[in-house]
Amino acid sequence: MLRLLLITFCLFSLFSFAQTAQVVTGRVTSEAEPNGLPGVSISIKGTDRGAITDQDGRFSIQASAGETFVFSFIGHQTQEVIYINQPLIGVVMKESARELSEVVVVGYSSVERKDLTGAVTSVKADKFRDMSLNSIDQALQGQAPGVQVTQSSGTPGGGISVRIRGNTSINASNVPLYVVDGIQVETGTLSLSSFGGQGDNAMSLINPNDVASIQILKDASAKALYGSRGANGVILITTKKGNKSLTRINFDIQRGIVDPTKKVQLLNSTQLLTLQREALTNAGENPDAAGLIPGVTDGVNTDWLDEIFRRGLMQQYQLSVSGGDDNTSYYLSMGYRDEEGVQLNNRFQRFSTSLNVERKFTPKFTVGNTLVMAYSMNHRVKGDNFLDGVYSGALKSLPYYAPYDEQGRIIGPSSPGYAAFPNFNPVGQAVLPRFLTSTVKIVSNFYGIYKFNSDFLLRSQVGIDYTDVAEDRYESSQTAIGGYLSSVGGQGYGVFSTDKIANLLANSVLNYNKSIDNHHITALLGGEIIQRPEISGSVQGRLFPSDDFTYIGSAGIVDQGGSGKIRSGLMSAFAEGKYNLNEKYYFTAGFRADASSRFGPGNRVAYFPALSAAWRISRESFFSSNVIEELKLRGSFGYTGNQNYPDFRFLGLWASVPYNGTTGVAPSILGNPKLQWELTREMNLGVDISLFNGRIQSTLETYLNKTNKLLFRVPYASTTGFTSVWDNVGSIQNKGIEFSVSTINLDQEFKWSTDINISKNINRILYLNSDQPLNAGYAGEGTTSTNIVEKGQALGTFIGLNFLGVNPATGDAIYEDRNKDGKITNDDQMVIGNAVPKMYGAFTNRFGYKNFELSVFFQFSYGNSVLNLTKNSLLNSGSDLTSNQTIDALRRWQKPGDITDVPRYIAGNNFNNYTSNRLLEDGSYLRLKNLSLGYYLPSKLTNRILLAQLRIYASATNLITFTKYTGADPEVSTLDGSTTAQGIDFFTLPQVRTISLGLNATLK
Amino acid sequence: MRKHYSYLIIIAFTWVLSSCEYTLEPQPVDLLTDELVLNEPKDVANVEVGLYNAFRDIMPSTIIAGDFTADNLTHNGTFSQYRELGNKNITSANASAAALWQSIYSTVYISNFILEKLPTITGVSTTERNRVTGAAHFLRGYAYFIALHSFGGVPEVLTTAIETNRNIPRASVSDINQLIIDDYTAALGKLPDVAPNAGYSSNYAVRAALAKFYLYSKNWAQAETYATQVISSNKYTLEPSFKNLVLKDFTNESIFEVGYTITDDPGTDNNLGLNSLFQGRREIIPSNQVVVALASAESGDRYSSITFNSANLAGTDNGWSVAKYGTPDQDNNNIVVIRLGEMYLIRAEARANQGKITGTGSAAEDINVLRTRANAPTITSATQNQMITLVEQERRYELAFEGHRWYDIVRTDRAAQIMPVFNSNWKDTYNVWPIPQREIQNNPALADNQNPGY
Repeated sequence: MLRLLLITFCLFSLFSFAQTAQVVTGRVTSEAEPNGLPGVSISIKGTDRGAITDQDGRFSIQASAGETFVFSFIGHQTQEVIYINQPLIGVVMKESARELSEVVVVGYSSVERKDLTGAVTSVKADKFRDMSLNSIDQALQGQAPGVQVTQSSGTPGGGISVRIRGNTSINASNVPLYVVDGIQVETGTLSLSSFGGQGDNAMSLINPNDVASIQILKDASAKALYGSRGANGVILITTKKGNKSLTRINFDIQRGIVDPTKKVQLLNSTQLLTLQREALTNAGENPDAAGLIPGVTDGVNTDWLDEIFRRGLMQQYQLSVSGGDDNTSYYLSMGYRDEEGVQLNNRFQRFSTSLNVERKFTPKFTVGNTLVMAYSMNHRVKGDNFLDGVYSGALKSLPYYAPYDEQGRIIGPSSPGYAAFPNFNPVGQAVLPRFLTSTVKIVSNFYGIYKFNSDFLLRSQVGIDYTDVAEDRYESSQTAIGGYLSSVGGQGYGVFSTDKIANLLANSVLNYNKSIDNHHITALLGGEIIQRPEISGSVQGRLFPSDDFTYIGSAGIVDQGGSGKIRSGLMSAFAEGKYNLNEKYYFTAGFRADASSRFGPGNRVAYFPALSAAWRISRESFFSSNVIEELKLRGSFGYTGNQNYPDFRFLGLWASVPYNGTTGVAPSILGNPKLQWELTREMNLGVDISLFNGRIQSTLETYLNKTNKLLFRVPYASTTGFTSVWDNVGSIQNKGIEFSVSTINLDQEFKWSTDINISKNINRILYLNSDQPLNAGYAGEGTTSTNIVEKGQALGTFIGLNFLGVNPATGDAIYEDRNKDGKITNDDQMVIGNAVPKMYGAFTNRFGYKNFELSVFFQFSYGNSVLNLTKNSLLNSGSDLTSNQTIDALRRWQKPGDITDVPRYIAGNNFNNYTSNRLLEDGSYLRLKNLSLGYYLPSKLTNRILLAQLRIYASATNLITFTKYTGADPEVSTLDGSTTAQGIDFFTLPQVRTISLGLNATLK
Repeated sequence: MRKHYSYLIIIAFTWVLSSCEYTLEPQPVDLLTDELVLNEPKDVANVEVGLYNAFRDIMPSTIIAGDFTADNLTHNGTFSQYRELGNKNITSANASAAALWQSIYSTVYISNFILEKLPTITGVSTTERNRVTGAAHFLRGYAYFIALHSFGGVPEVLTTAIETNRNIPRASVSDINQLIIDDYTAALGKLPDVAPNAGYSSNYAVRAALAKFYLYSKNWAQAETYATQVISSNKYTLEPSFKNLVLKDFTNESIFEVGYTITDDPGTDNNLGLNSLFQGRREIIPSNQVVVALASAESGDRYSSITFNSANLAGTDNGWSVAKYGTPDQDNNNIVVIRLGEMYLIRAEARANQGKITGTGSAAEDINVLRTRANAPTITSATQNQMITLVEQERRYELAFEGHRWYDIVRTDRAAQIMPVFNSNWKDTYNVWPIPQREIQNNPALADNQNPGY
């Protein structure tokens, strides 16, 4: 690298004489700070002389020839330079490959990685900087062992499921706790209305470009101070901050195209007509009488997927300004992202801004504020389990109908060519309705730090996470709901709803830090109050004068509306003590006590202790190795909790109900005053190893977690007057292994590094209050349901009949008669698979040559099943004739002797379409999640155009997927956010492929 | 400076302590706790409304049961519980069966709650106390009547004791019949003779229910007596035009109906409104057989129960829709529990079975009242057997889509003749619905006590 002023050259200078000290000047830069790295400390070996670089990275110091300069800076390799009368000392600091000194934010404090005793994974922003990301949780996919990220569909701004070390609960939440700059934020779906299964995602309001790093806390020790809400793991998001440097202006632009990853192959009109006629004939009916006439019915042949798909455009702009001096630092940014979905009229736009300022008023007193704001406009379309959805409609709709009439107008309910129930013109369903969810999010944290002395420090903060969602829906009289389904809309149908949620937080933490000889003690003590008020409202209107009037003020009937308020709170105290002897033996004890409003008097308070220890074997005197630089053993044990379930379930409640124009009260909830916290006992063992001077770093973790007192909605016999009650019953176990390794394979002119992580989690329900399995998921055909929750099984277990094949003589499906009663009933159903992967992970290879860099990021999931429930409609053996069929139907049984796996078609008969393992497929996949190529323009060129740095890059997401799955995409989940029924593909939009070009410029 | 900090700390502590209760004991908004819901006189009316609200949920399910299990309706949609009912392939997992069962026991719970709690409240006027107690008995009795004829002998739940009722076996048919008659007897006399509005119970509604009870028990004399009491009370008059029964709520002949307004449509299971099933989605449509029957001369104006739209014709869709219950912007979605027309039919059937075929005080006289109103030809002569068949047909014309057909042909043992012709999958198993699977799973006392054939 030309820019590397090779210090070694200087070392070969010929002679040196002892001379008197003189003023030596120099300049320190780094790859990231080519204009000078401020704050680097310089000392001269064997003396007490030292200096710190200024804003331009310059320094001056008294030195004499022969003395050794030591340059050190956090996160960088320490360098030594011998002074031999060079006129100017130039040093390029290298980021340290070994991340031992990396500062890791853990709970309410931070610690250097080498001192960690718990399981923490850090993901720095540069790991995902080139990817086109909609939300910050998307950035976690494949980046951390033990973190399973599944995008529920290819909808921009759509739901993403993040699970850390498996599912710990059945009915309470399994979503990790997200903390942005110290403030816990709202997660999950914000929308109050259903779009057929797919929710939106609260995390899409956090701009990934403003994020500096993400820490994932995985074991009881790391989570100790969040213990009360930490059972599902904790994700700490740190936004970018300014530091002491010159003003740095950065501009980033990324533009690209978005396409669906795969298109399902469907029958054309003629193929479908032949099949439907055959199905009717097989059922003993006359196909002509049903109006299925060759040459007439198939006169139109519409490829509905082509009609509703488009190539979307993605564009993203980001401008940031950061800098600071000795006492003040700041980071300001503004971003805009606009992503068009691949379905017509589907679009996500986000405007975001951030302002992080910190000011040191006196050496002891610092005040700061972090503020992230965003406004998003999500133009949604219906999908999945909605007959009038866009993608779901396009898959199902018969090709006999056309989207537009001869004048090019969209065919609607009043047009003669309208297919009607259940084939609503999906083009009209995409283009005509207005489903706009606008959301404002503000995450702000005001904090003060007072340093009493070198030992004591007090940090207090008050923060808010405010989310304001407004949903504006209108379906015109030319849509299914607004026009065709007169029972709902008739002449237009509008809904307006709002939801305002605030998470208010205040805490104070007193830190103590003391080192006496080899004894290092840190301790903290804190208290916290969290309140979560939520108010919501909604109103529905129908009978609009015409489609020119689309807001509820014009509705003829405003017939449903309401508003509500709910509030919950948490009060906590916590403490942590850490001790290490000579940075060799580490002990940590953490403790948190919480009181939650979600439990009744007497059960509100719970205690969450955690203990951990670490032993850095490599620092033992007996340990000597040139190869092994670091070897650390860690272990932890502790308890975490979960209270994320509905409010007031400890009280028996009656709610308002209407009758005949009056209102009264009726029982709504059977209370259980004994309800208490769900508790998870966690054990973790870990080994960290670092070889060859940090060129190989690896971590192996294994854990055993057991969740007891599950917050579980126990089904009750209705003879009680109720159908369920919440109770603490049951336990779930998660155990697993996580392995990660990072290697620097080559670091000469050609650079190559590799990151690999692989995780395995085994989930099992150890105990439930009843041996009777609980049904979950969708209702089955010929079976009770698609999923069950049962003792001994994992969450996400599929059930169905055992499909043995197609009888070559009759063409009918053969199912195993497991109870040998001569009938195929739901008593013959059995466990057919599970949605949880046996193993998942990712591997990334990064290459660098001259000014080029290339990153290849593969992500995989192995051993998971996907229930292709779409086949229940699109390969349905004739159980109804209202859906198009996939080309697999061409393989159907037609005459005796046919050997096939697709049963014969009989109109109106669903026996051949019973829910069975015929619908279950291997969902393992290997996906080239991201491929990106970057190029730094030579500094000669950039200097000429007044830029410090200019990087151009190309990036492709979801480029190739290797899978045996026959549906559109194995990585989908129609019941977004569901734990008991994950991995079901039911008309779910596949992931999208994004190909983009970007440019990143840093101004001088 | 240091002084200021200590002030700050004191202020902070005060704030923390004072906000403790606020944070940890938020009060539920727009919800009442068990302890508060019924403990003073002004609460009584609210709980009474709650009782009717629970009861009305039974009615849409009885229409599904009564018309769809039999041959009046066919399936034209996508939901598996309706497909099962349409294809006569009903399983114990059927969601419609679960919904009917749940609505029955929700009603029973509130009735029991009132009957246990109301006596302990002082200061309630005798009129109100009687009215609410009477309604609790009447609606509980009627709920059990529906339960008995939909599921057979069901658990006899007469308290609100949760633990007892989680593990409670099926009672015998005769026990439930006794419970019903006891409840009706307890209600009779406590209620107003005629309610201010047919949306509430009355003594005459109880008498009408008794007529129905004795009809089902084949106690023809008692059935005739109670039907006559209602008919000759002159509290109710037949609507001059049958169309009014299709298009209007609270007709002059309504004895008891459950009330909805334009803002709360009759929901069935899965929250699908009846008018969504019948009109919007057209998930369920009239069968060809009922269309032929309603279009016959004998049916006359009762043809107005259905409508036709050629735009709907396609594949298995015959283009016909149920007109009763209308669309949501037509406020005619109340569901009639008992009306005067049915009293004539009950009396006609009771008389026919007692050999009173034609002439004054005969079955023919009662049938002809309805035929005349429907502008259909009247009956002049018939044998007893012919008359019994005529009554059966007349019930189909008059009461189509009001939830009767299945109950009628099962209680007269005619299902075995009628249904296999309509659908070859029919078997005697379907004379009752299955005990919902979730109830068997969650109530140990029901184990191994499913209805035969399920």
